[in-house]
Amino acid sequence: MPKIRKLASGAQFIDPDAYPQMLNKPEAARALLNLRSAETAARAQVAMEAAIPPMRAAILRYVDDMEQASHDMKKLFATAHEIRGFAETAGMITTGRIAEILCRYMDDMERAGKPLDPTIVALHASAIARAARAEDDDVRMGEKVAAELAALVARRLAEAH
Amino acid sequence: MAAGGFESLKALIVEDNTHMRSLLRALLNSIGIKDVSEAIHGQAGMEALRERKIDLVLTDLAMSPMDGLELTRHVRKDENSPNPFVPIIMITGHTEKYRVEAARDAGVTEFLAKPITAHNLFARITEILERPRAFVRCDSYFGPDRRRHDADNYGGPWRRAEELQDVGVR
Repeated sequence: MPKIRKLASGAQFIDPDAYPQMLNKPEAARALLNLRSAETAARAQVAMEAAIPPMRAAILRYVDDMEQASHDMKKLFATAHEIRGFAETAGMITTGRIAEILCRYMDDMERAGKPLDPTIVALHASAIARAARAEDDDVRMGEKVAAELAALVARRLAEAH
Repeated sequence: MAAGGFESLKALIVEDNTHMRSLLRALLNSIGIKDVSEAIHGQAGMEALRERKIDLVLTDLAMSPMDGLELTRHVRKDENSPNPFVPIIMITGHTEKYRVEAARDAGVTEFLAKPITAHNLFARITEILERPRAFVRCDSYFGPDRRRHDADNYGGPWRRAEELQDVGVR
């Protein structure tokens, strides 16, 4: 079987054996055992837990930035995107979910060429701030708010399309 | 002692968020990858790739002045690219279908949606080790084969919609 094949379409297929791999085969075999080991999982868990306090602190700073950028939609989107990026990793599930809804709304409206509704953006920003500062203690209320905001955004996006 | 295999590996993290860089570095360290370089955008990432041999790239998507898509295109297509075959894992909160398609068409090896978990990151690295992909070169594309499943009756290099489900596309 040739390692480099040419199809009728003109496309060239280069088999994995025909280009340098990330690790050689003995290393790869050991690496796979490593990736599946309980010791590795425990070390990774420690790494994840160590990341949580600075991430929570950073999210609260982003929330401050987001509130200050309430009229600058580009900056607000960028900040909400950062919050969406690691709120859940920091254990702030509701905060992440609401940021996700806001980002999707802003992204979809921009792609549809429609103007943003400032009230919807403000509602989300406020909900993100409340959820983050409560550190998701009030999970049930946060989930209810997230569900209502998701439904509101779904209606507006349906109208926009 | 189960740890091993990654001692010689050199990784590059391209990410503009300091907290994400720290987390990714810690996770790579936890599997024994100690040689980890960092860059805060695609342009700096490309410079790092030219300065030293890199075996694995983790990159964010949205960065300025050069984002992860452009970085990937440079790595794959530049005539003087130091390693056009290097595995690239794109890590991003932008999981909309059109963005994932753009990442795949740029030539990323794996796509990892935030929030990051150790399990998900390690699953992508496992995929690269266990099922290395063929590369495809055609007029409009150079990069890993965008088909994940072989089909006996399919001879072309083009992608399929159902593959998007494999990478968590929303």
